[in-house]
Amino acid sequence: MKPRMAASLALGLAAFCSGCAVSYQSSVDPAGTQAEQIAVLWWFFLALLGAIFVLVMAFAVWPLFHRHRGVNPEALEERHEPSRETERKLGRVVGWASGITVLILLALIVISVITGRATAGSEPPRDHLAIEVTGSQWWWSVRYVNDDASRILTTANEIHVPVGRTVLIRGLSHDVIHSFWIPNLQGKRDLIPSRVTTEWFQASRPGRYRGQCAEFCGLQHAKMALWVIAEPSDRYDAWMENQLKPAAAPSTPDTQAGQQVFLSHACVFCHTIRGTSAAGQAGPDLTHLASRLTIAAGTLANTKGNLAGWITDPQSIKPGNHMATVPLRSEDLQPLVDYLESLQ
Amino acid sequence: MRSSERLRTLEGRLHASCCRMLRTASLIFGLVFCGMCQIQNQPDDGQWIMAAKNYSSTRFSTLDQINSGNAATLKLAWTFSTGLTKGHEAAPLIVNNTMYLVTPWPNLLYALDLTKPGAPLKWKYTPHASRSSQGTACCDVVNRGAAYYNGRIYYNTLDVHTVAVDANTGREIWKTQLGSIDDGESITMAPIVVKGKVLVGNSGGEFGVRGWLAALDADTGKIVWRAYSTGPDKDVLIGPSFKPFYAADRGKDLGVKSWPADAWKIGGGSAWSWISYDPDLDLIYYGTSNAGPWNADQRPGDNKWTSTLFARRPETGEAIWAYQMNPHDEHDYDGVNENVLADLNIKGQARKVLLHPDRNGRLYVIDRATGEVLSAEAFAYVNTSTSVDLKTGHLNTVPAKSTGLKTVRDICPAAPGGKDWQPSAFSPKTGWLYLPHNNLCMDFEGLQANYISGTPYVGANVRMYAGPGGNRGEFTAWDPANARAVWSVKETFPAWSGALVTAGDVVFYGTMDGWFKALDARTGKLLWQFKTGSGIVGQPVSYRGPDNKQYIAIFAGVGGWSGAVVSGGLNTQDGSAALGFVNAMTDLPQHTNTGGTLYVFSLP
Amino acid sequence: MFFRSRNLLLAGSGAAFVSLLAGCQREKQELRPRPAQVAVYGDAARESEIQPGGPQTQAAVNNPFYSNALAISEGQRLFSWYNCSGCHANGGGAIGPPLIKKDWIYGGEPANLFDTIVKGRPNGMPAWGGRIPEYQVWQLVAYIRSLNGEQPKSATPERQDHIETNPETLHFEEGANR
Repeated sequence: MKPRMAASLALGLAAFCSGCAVSYQSSVDPAGTQAEQIAVLWWFFLALLGAIFVLVMAFAVWPLFHRHRGVNPEALEERHEPSRETERKLGRVVGWASGITVLILLALIVISVITGRATAGSEPPRDHLAIEVTGSQWWWSVRYVNDDASRILTTANEIHVPVGRTVLIRGLSHDVIHSFWIPNLQGKRDLIPSRVTTEWFQASRPGRYRGQCAEFCGLQHAKMALWVIAEPSDRYDAWMENQLKPAAAPSTPDTQAGQQVFLSHACVFCHTIRGTSAAGQAGPDLTHLASRLTIAAGTLANTKGNLAGWITDPQSIKPGNHMATVPLRSEDLQPLVDYLESLQ
Repeated sequence: MRSSERLRTLEGRLHASCCRMLRTASLIFGLVFCGMCQIQNQPDDGQWIMAAKNYSSTRFSTLDQINSGNAATLKLAWTFSTGLTKGHEAAPLIVNNTMYLVTPWPNLLYALDLTKPGAPLKWKYTPHASRSSQGTACCDVVNRGAAYYNGRIYYNTLDVHTVAVDANTGREIWKTQLGSIDDGESITMAPIVVKGKVLVGNSGGEFGVRGWLAALDADTGKIVWRAYSTGPDKDVLIGPSFKPFYAADRGKDLGVKSWPADAWKIGGGSAWSWISYDPDLDLIYYGTSNAGPWNADQRPGDNKWTSTLFARRPETGEAIWAYQMNPHDEHDYDGVNENVLADLNIKGQARKVLLHPDRNGRLYVIDRATGEVLSAEAFAYVNTSTSVDLKTGHLNTVPAKSTGLKTVRDICPAAPGGKDWQPSAFSPKTGWLYLPHNNLCMDFEGLQANYISGTPYVGANVRMYAGPGGNRGEFTAWDPANARAVWSVKETFPAWSGALVTAGDVVFYGTMDGWFKALDARTGKLLWQFKTGSGIVGQPVSYRGPDNKQYIAIFAGVGGWSGAVVSGGLNTQDGSAALGFVNAMTDLPQHTNTGGTLYVFSLP
Repeated sequence: MFFRSRNLLLAGSGAAFVSLLAGCQREKQELRPRPAQVAVYGDAARESEIQPGGPQTQAAVNNPFYSNALAISEGQRLFSWYNCSGCHANGGGAIGPPLIKKDWIYGGEPANLFDTIVKGRPNGMPAWGGRIPEYQVWQLVAYIRSLNGEQPKSATPERQDHIETNPETLHFEEGANR
């Protein structure tokens, strides 16, 4: 093999393999039971089909280099058909190749179906955690189901789950078809208006897993992300207890002023902060906004600077999203951001 | 006529009819006995001092000058125009030969002098109710009437005030504000006065208000107690004396626990309709409205204490028992309809009961001392529930008719229920309950509701239409002891007026296209009818005039929720208008216009 | 021959270009109004037809979002988000008057509608001014005008995926497949 070809081959291989190293929002870095099964299937497919690919390529390339000895090139006019011997040989090769291909395909189908069944499961175990995820353009409303109505938690864009416990996701949509996809944990499940779709997953190790809407849903489909944070049970319980509490009353004059800004502007038309009179439900619940990793459905890291920029001009960050550009005086912005960042 | 003469005649009449009744009752086993003495806690003196006539809410007049024999000769005595064009739902009051009329917003109070021919105006009082309050009234700017007590007239204004007006002079004694229209509150109900306390409940179940019932001191107007319908027990005035009959209503702070966090603060449960009182048991009875929003998916849980019947002590407001009729209400089945107190013989036993025709189409017969449900049979066509389990009190709902963020069709009864606010009347003579009611079904599409204070919090597209049979209304005579209908008259439009029944065995009600009718209370035969100037949604009353004649008075003036298409000038191309009622009433504008006028009838 | 077909080609493409231009206004997506102002009380709209002292010209205040499909669609969304539908239903009215009509109490021109939303009205219309930004009021105005057929059909929103509100056809039939 020529050196240049070898070099480019090596480079290609390296680029190809680099995808494997990244675990961020990656299906080949499974952190959950179902994702593991999908990943196993994926690697198996890759290996098998990769081998077949190499084989086929080899067969295709070999004639270019192979010098066939002891056969005279026949004049075209004299011989039109291959000999019966050649025909038989060819027939055998094609027959075997087709047969093997069919068998391989059948095997792949069987394995796919088995994996599909395994990841979808039949019935979730009795102690599963049920979470309702409602897709809206372009954010996720999350509601933790509970028989005790007063322990039903409504939050947005971030899901915490205990490690090792089966989580049942009930998917709904308020407007168009979205798709719930956490690559590290499970496959995709569409959220369809007027229907409830379900899937479940089980995180096998703690971590932060990014998810993404996987069905084109409008202008900001690309920026409709969410985070699933798997943590040990005790930390999950602590998180849940904190989230169920209403928002802490602002304790400094600055945050108190910020709360007044919130309540006297159009914010209350769309957002809820439990513990205040704001109970709007068109947009995400902000009661514990400061406890989240990101804002604007995974678009920006949750920092004061980003939050200030988002409130001042949401359309420049996520053009077309449904948050109104609410005019604020400059002296109102700082207290408002301080107040919102105090909502732990 | 001198008062002593009048008294003698009255006494004589009382005595005669009492004995007649005793005989009748003992002959026909089981029905009611000496009605006047016990059921009507105030002596009937030919007056009408509260909207429901008496604390038992029977709307029964003992006057029998007009009877089934001569009702056909009734003629118009005089009329009075209020000059207003919204729904006139009030019951006129007649006290000391003066008639008191409360109008829809601007909630004027007229006093008419009945001693002079043509009943001229004595005085007019205007409370200057806020004009903007018209924007928080879900179902027309109506008012259901006043109450008389101790020389004063008490009534509520749309902008959440209660006023006390001197009955002689029309001077305002006090005016108390109880809430704010900025929160979406309003008041349309007729108060009652019990033990010197004026009982008032708010409206606004469609605006995400927090419902309450309050008691004001009749002399000063100060708020003595306020019982909320949702929230922790200390707000709902649930204390150690609280003994609900059924296990589902027992527990601590159910008004918080049966809601997602904070949803109870905007959950409805307003007490916008009727209150009854039993002086022997010392209990007031009233119901609370639907839960908010209409889209039930936003409020999982039983949503206590919406759609609930409460029994409370009038002095302190503390709850003695409660029964939630429609847990996690999904169809706007308010629990606010009237509770008629009656003593009936049920299955061979004498029981002190209340009769409650609920929005869910069932007529509840409930032991008013304990809250036990004795029967709950359907008086209208019902497919949202199959029965009430009498052991647990549980309403067995039909899962296919459960609403949420989806479209459900053919839901019966529709949101106005088998019967809405329009009050029934009970005759101790026949022992039957006379129900003006609806026959409506609906398609219901739940939508995500967004809460903005001061604006509606509903979350539904609704279309109503006539139920089986094609008639949208019905007037039924119901035998509560045996839980069955005796006779009924179908009506084209919902029978949205109140009912009046008299000792003369005549029952009165009005139709939405303006016919005021008199029927034989025993057979349902139409005895007489009169076409008034506008559809009737008011409450008929009867009184004895200064000339000793018996009069029947009724407000005509179409409106209310069912008449909104006319009183609001709504567009009939949009069937979802007026929360879906317009779909069922597109023909009403051809049958009536607006126009509030009081009509008074008597024998020639 | 060549000359004629070339003219035809030019004429055809010219016509296509002009018709495409007509769609420009419909297609413009102004996602980021600058600057965003809070809607304030406006006095531009006349509400009475009586002009004392004789007629007088007044500059019409037009809706900047006339025939803009995105704005009308946003107006439709805001109509239900801000609970306009709670009082006005789908145009037929309920607590408030219908919005599909010919006789407007306070005027039905875009400027009048803007004033109504921003200032509120005495008989119960809430005052939204001072809270929602001006561009959203104009979006609502554009939508309300579209309900009344005052916007080009090409820009008016399609039928929504909700139950139909035309009352013509509905009647009860237990078990009927609808």
